[in-house]
Order: sequence, then C-alpha cells, then structure tokens
Amino acid sequence: MLEHTQYDFDAIVVGSGISGGWAAKELTEKGLNVLVLERGKPLQAGSGYLGEHAPPWKVPYQGKRPRELYEEEYPVQSKVWHSFNETSRQFWNNDKENPYATDEGKPFLWARADVVGGRSLIWGRQTYRFSEEDFRANAVDGHGIPWPITYDEIAPWYSYVEKFVGISGKSEGLSQLPDSEFQKPMPWFALEETIHGRLRKKAPDITLTSARVSILTEDLPGRKACHYCGPCYRGCSTGSYFSSQASTLPAATATGNMTLRANSVVERLEYDADSGKISRVHVIDTQTKERMAFSSRIVFLCASTVGSTQILMQSASDSFPDGLANSSGVLGKYMMDHTLGISGLGLFLDNMDSYYHGNRPAGLYIPRFRNVGAQDEDADFLRGYGYQTATLRQDWQTGFNTKGFGAGLKDKLRKPGPWIFALAGFSECLPRESNRMYLSKRQVDRFGMPLAAFDFEWSDNEINARKDATKQAQRILRAAGAVLALPGQEEMSVPGEGIHEMGTARMGDDPGKSILNKWNQAHDVPNLFVTDGSFMTSASCVNPSLTYMAFTARACDYAVRQLNEGLI
Amino acid sequence: MNRREFLQCAAILVSGSSAAQLGFSLNEEQKVYLATAPDFNTTPVNYFTPLQRKIIAAMVEVIIPRTDTPGAIDAGVPVFVELMASQWLNEEEAAIFNAGLADIEVRIPLAFGSPFHALVPEQQLEIMQALEDEASGSPWYDFGNIQRDFVSDAPFICQLKELTIWGFFTSREGGSQVLRYDPMPMYFDGNIPLKQNDSSWLTVL
Ligand SMILES: Cc1cc2nc3c(=O)[nH]c(=O)nc-3n(C[C@H](O)[C@H](O)[C@H](O)COP(=O)(O)OP(=O)(O)OC[C@H]3O[C@@H](n4cnc5c(N)ncnc54)[C@H](O)[C@@H]3O)c2cc1C
Ligand code: SF4
Repeated sequence: MLEHTQYDFDAIVVGSGISGGWAAKELTEKGLNVLVLERGKPLQAGSGYLGEHAPPWKVPYQGKRPRELYEEEYPVQSKVWHSFNETSRQFWNNDKENPYATDEGKPFLWARADVVGGRSLIWGRQTYRFSEEDFRANAVDGHGIPWPITYDEIAPWYSYVEKFVGISGKSEGLSQLPDSEFQKPMPWFALEETIHGRLRKKAPDITLTSARVSILTEDLPGRKACHYCGPCYRGCSTGSYFSSQASTLPAATATGNMTLRANSVVERLEYDADSGKISRVHVIDTQTKERMAFSSRIVFLCASTVGSTQILMQSASDSFPDGLANSSGVLGKYMMDHTLGISGLGLFLDNMDSYYHGNRPAGLYIPRFRNVGAQDEDADFLRGYGYQTATLRQDWQTGFNTKGFGAGLKDKLRKPGPWIFALAGFSECLPRESNRMYLSKRQVDRFGMPLAAFDFEWSDNEINARKDATKQAQRILRAAGAVLALPGQEEMSVPGEGIHEMGTARMGDDPGKSILNKWNQAHDVPNLFVTDGSFMTSASCVNPSLTYMAFTARACDYAVRQLNEGLI
Repeated sequence: MNRREFLQCAAILVSGSSAAQLGFSLNEEQKVYLATAPDFNTTPVNYFTPLQRKIIAAMVEVIIPRTDTPGAIDAGVPVFVELMASQWLNEEEAAIFNAGLADIEVRIPLAFGSPFHALVPEQQLEIMQALEDEASGSPWYDFGNIQRDFVSDAPFICQLKELTIWGFFTSREGGSQVLRYDPMPMYFDGNIPLKQNDSSWLTVL
C-alpha cells in the first residue's frame, strides 16, 4: 500500500480545467493525497461569477465592447467574440501579461482562461463521443500513427464520466456518433421540427439531432437543471452546466484529500536519472514570484495541450535534451485543431406565428455524413465534418441599420423578424509533423520562461473539407426550405480558433513515434501521465473535451492500480 | 427550484461573499457584481454643453419617440450617447461625431431660425431625413452590417442612430417595457403563439 512519508503528496495534478478537475476527483476519491497546481487566479464558484444574470443596462457601455482595452490587453482572447466580453473577461487570460509567439505570416489563436477551473468555465459544452471509425482512421488511411486503443476499450469510461457530467441529448444509434448516457434532450423550436420533417423526405442521409451538451435537463446531486437564462460563458451558480468549479473540484474537496494552490505556475518537472522518475515539481507563485518545489509519487499534467507540452519542453535535462519524455522526438509536433466557421445561413418564413420561452443554451447538431464507413466517390478529402446549428429569430440587432425614424422605426425594431437557421461546420484536421508548437529562443515571459510559439498551417485536406461543408450546407438549407440560403464565409478559420488544439504529445504503441502509451503514461517516465488534449493521436471532427475526460479517468484508475501494486 | 427560490439563492450568494473571498488579483472595478451595479446610463457626464445636450436629446427622440411606451429620452439614451461619445468612440470617430453635432448646432439656427430642439417635429424629421439621404451610400446601411464591429467612418447620422438604437433597446426601459425581458425563464418552450403585437425578447448577449 501507499507509503506517505517520503513525499509531500501522493500525486500532483497540474491544471484545474476540464482534465485537471477530473484527475483531482478520481485520484482523491481513490484515497490519494493530491496537490492541484493552477497558474490562474483563485475563483469562488457562484460568488465569483460577477457577470452572471446582469441585464445589459448594468454592463459597461451597455454591452458595446471597450475596444481600446481589448486591443491593448486582450487582442487574442477578445477575438472569441461570442464568449469574451465585460461579463466574462475576469475568466480569461490577459494577453499583454501572458503573451505567446507565432511565426511570420502564420497566425495562431491561443484561447485560454486564467482562473481556477480553466476553460471549463467558458467552454461551449458540446459533448460527443469519438466513434470506432475515429479510433481506426489513422490505421486505415495512414495519416499519423494508429491509436493504441479501440473504441470498445474507452466506451465504459465514456459512460462513467458521462453519468457524472450530465449530458442532455437524443439517442440516434449512429455508428459515426455513438450515443452517450443521456439526460432528456432540450425541446426544439417549431421551425426546427419543420426543418427536421423536410430533411427526412428530401435529404434522408442527413440526421438532425439535438446538440449533445453538458447541460443538465434533470437535477444531479448538488446541481440544478438549467433555468435557460442563456449566456453560460458568464458562469453558472446553479452548476447547471459542467465545469470543474461546479462538478469535479467540489467532489475532490469533499474527500478532504485535495490541496489546491492557485496563482501557481509550474515551471518544470525535475527528472531524477537514478530512479528514472519525476522527483519534484518546480513552481513559481505568480503574485510573489517566489519559487518552490513539491514532490509526489506521480504527476498528472493537465495544463491543457499547449500548457503541458510547454512544461515538458521546459523540463529538458541531460537525460532528455529535447524535452522531458521526448526520446521519440515528436513532442510538440502533429498538432491539430478543427477548422470551423459558418458554412451556410438560411432565412425561413415558416412558423412565423410561433415564438419561444427561455433561452436555450444549445442548438442542434448534424453528425458527420461524408466518408462514413468508406470514402465517398465525389469527396476530394479524407474523413469528415459535422455541423453545429443555431436557430434564431431576427430582431433589432440585425435590423438596427434600417432607414427611417420615429414610431414606425421603433415598432419595426421591436418586433421579431424572419427566422435564421445557420450551420457551422467543424472539420477534422489530419495530424501532420509540420504543424507544431515549440519554445521561443528569443522571447521570455514575466517569469523568465520562454514563450510558447506556434507554426501551424492548414493542408489541402482541411481546405477541401471546408469547401465541401459549404457546398453541402447549401443542399441542406434548400432541402430544409430556406427562402434564401447564403453561403458561409470563404476564408478558413485561424488555426487555434477551433479551440481544440491537441496532439503534441500523442499516444501510441511505438515508443519511437509517440510520447505516451495507451494509459497516458509517458513511455520514458513511468510516474508521469499527460491526460489533456496533448495525448490525442487523431482529431475526429467532434468536440474533444469529453474524450479528454474519459481518458483522464481511465488513466487515474490505471495509475492508482500501478501504485498499489508497487509498479510505479 | 422555482424562480423565487432561485433569486433568493442568488441573493444569498451575492451578499454572502466579501471582497476577501474573491481573487485578490481582480481589479477593484471587477469586484462589482454587475447584476447589482448601478445602471450604466446613470454614470455622471460632463462632455456636451447644455445646448448640445438639448440638441442630442431632441435628435434621439426623433429616432425613437415616446409612444404608448417609453421613448429614447425616457430610457436615458441622451446620457448613453454622451458617455459613448466621450469614452467609447475613438479619436477619428469622435471627430466625425463632434463635427456632425457642431454642424447641427451652427447650421440649423441659420437655416430654420431656431436651434434643432426648438423646431416643430416636422422640421426635425425633415432635417434628420436629409442627413440620412446624404449618408445613404455608407456601408453602415449594408445588409451584412451586424453590430459586432462599429463602422468607423460611418457618418454622424449613422453613429447617432446606432448609439440610439443600441442605447435604447439595452436600457432598462427599452429592454423590459418595449422589448420583453426575463432573466430567469426557468424552462424552454420552442413553440408558443406569437401574437400580432408581441415584441421580441431582449436576448442577452
Ligand atoms: C469559448 C470556448 C468554447 C469551447 N467549446 C467547447 C465545446 O463546445 N466542446 C468541447 O469539447 N470543447 C470546447 N472548448 C475547448 C475546451 O475548453 C478544452 O478542450 C478543455 O477545457 C481542455 O481541458 P484541459 O483541462 O486540457 O485545459 P483547460 O480547461 O484549459 O485547463 C488547463 C488549466 O491548466 C492551467 N495551466 C496551464 N499552464 C499551467 C502551468 N504551467 N502551471 C499551472 N497551471 C497551468 C491553466 O491555467 C488552466 O486552468 C471550448 C473552449 C473555449 C475557450
Ligand atoms: S443557460 Fe442554463 S446552463 Fe447556461 S448559465 Fe443559464 S442556467 Fe446555467
């Protein structure tokens, strides 16, 4: 059994976001004494959500963005316009304080939080399983390396985390998008029912289903069903959507086994060549700049893909001159993100006399329908994409620049206009060696640590998939009965804008080609686990965070068994 | 949990937390629960002259007048416009705004014999319409202009319309008495009847 004397803690978890929260919960519940280190500011669940439920007349500039401040201090984060504003700014990274570097002419958008809870507070909560086909994709078409694990092996762990997360959605029985453990789906707009009916007849290959989201439609212990206030990114004091703050950290706290240290940036992991393990974790206090170190039996890196990869790179030593656990040389390479963007926008005059009550914080979803099972003959790209949809009724915000004055204008602006149904395509990105992050040789941050730097470009596969998504969106919108179907934006999203960066410490069976084994354990360092998006060997086209959660829980189970058997 | 319980619970959360419990690295300015902050359009102003204030009030009221529901003046739009002109517009935009306002201030009494705010509604409307006709080629009127970014070189009349309409529908009066506002809907129903005279919801962004 565990012996507590030699170490400060049984386990150290770096990061308190989606993955770190899970690691903290699982390891503490298994009886380990856990230190969670988080570089972000402390934040109290509930009372820390300063913008929650604020009406627009209370918000600075009544919600118009303070442009100068954003350009000066948040030039990157403020580009995430749908979730970043004065009601949520406190959760986000200050770009001036914590910058990063990009290669000339190759922009990269690194969106990140800077509070306890990480991006779990501001994420879009879309939650999907990878499919059997996703886990086989690399082996089948030869891009990247094969996954060391099959769908069947991870499926029970998906179920395990889903029951705790609470996911609302609809079972569809699709091979390309396995069903989760669902709470009841949210109701639909009448227009969505209309569109659903038409697609069944005119585009039977398309499935229109409820978005699968980590938002409760039924109470769970300590958390309430959604009250449909709408702007989730401001925080949710009823814990209705899944965040570390509402879900995993309270569970870890309840065990009495967790110590959480905010304002603590991990600088590097110290490798002890004699034992072949990590011996200490070096930390800088972001407020006092004080340096300190903690020891533990095992270390879980959950600092997000870029954060964890950065730590491994900074932990280079004589034993690992190219970065800790990087004997394969692939650390930082094979980075992926999803391309995203509006693929099409339809105007509808149906159900004009139907309206709604409540702000549904999720749309619908059209699962991948291209290259499913086998390559489609007319597809000039591999793999596929899915659409997240949004349904909204036009209002004064889309008509504010109407000509005219007076009572007539006022009346027109006050009333709802036609419906809009929009499709936003998320496409899979192939793993490519040249897409990478590395440490800047010239620039350092306020702690003297080298800046993370990015060198990432889309390949023809992503560009062609995106074009196809735009073309198919037109077909879908016409079949759905749009009176006007506008094509989406033409330009590709900026790499990183999908906010699904992953793959920089991929897992695989071959230690010469991968950093981690199938248990998220470093091939080179047995007491080191990395369970955020860095481990991802391929990207699928679905939002990835659920997969990080399932792998984190599975890795914790494995690590504790190994510890108990004296193998680590 | 019903709506009442919810509000009670929110109130406890809000009152029960002291600044010390919050992150000490949050700015003072950020330590305010926005939900309990004063209305933005009650912030003191000192940018316009008294005459300019009268003119702006009259102009915003032409854009959105009081009918059987509150109008722009009732909704504090003149203060909103003054705050935005002094704090939010950038230099280039403020120059366009100030020149536009100065033009009304100087030209209207010469042409009409009285300052803008003292004219009869028909004359006021005529002036505003003339300004809009002159500006009608501006990309501000384009179909694709949705309020994410401010059109920086938009003419004065467009600036004023945008600030008025925004300031009105996001105000307490405009948002909850002209539009409909419900911060705590408690359930979602995607199919309820929309009657002829029903307003949109104020959707919180
Ligand atoms: C606006 C937005 C919408 C999104 N929508 C979705 C969605 O719908 N579905 C989906 O699946 N995903 C979505 N994502 C992505 C999702 O948020 C991430 O995939 C997820 O949070 C990753 O979890 P993580 O634990 O790896 O990283 P994070 O949640 O980012 O947590 C990492 C934590 O580690 C901390 N950290 C970093 N470096 C260090 C260090 N050196 N020392 C100590 N601590 C450190 C960070 O401060 C952070 O708190 C969205 C993200 C954003 C921003
Ligand atoms: S819409 Fe629902 S999940 Fe989102 S913040 Fe409101 S209550 Fe929470």
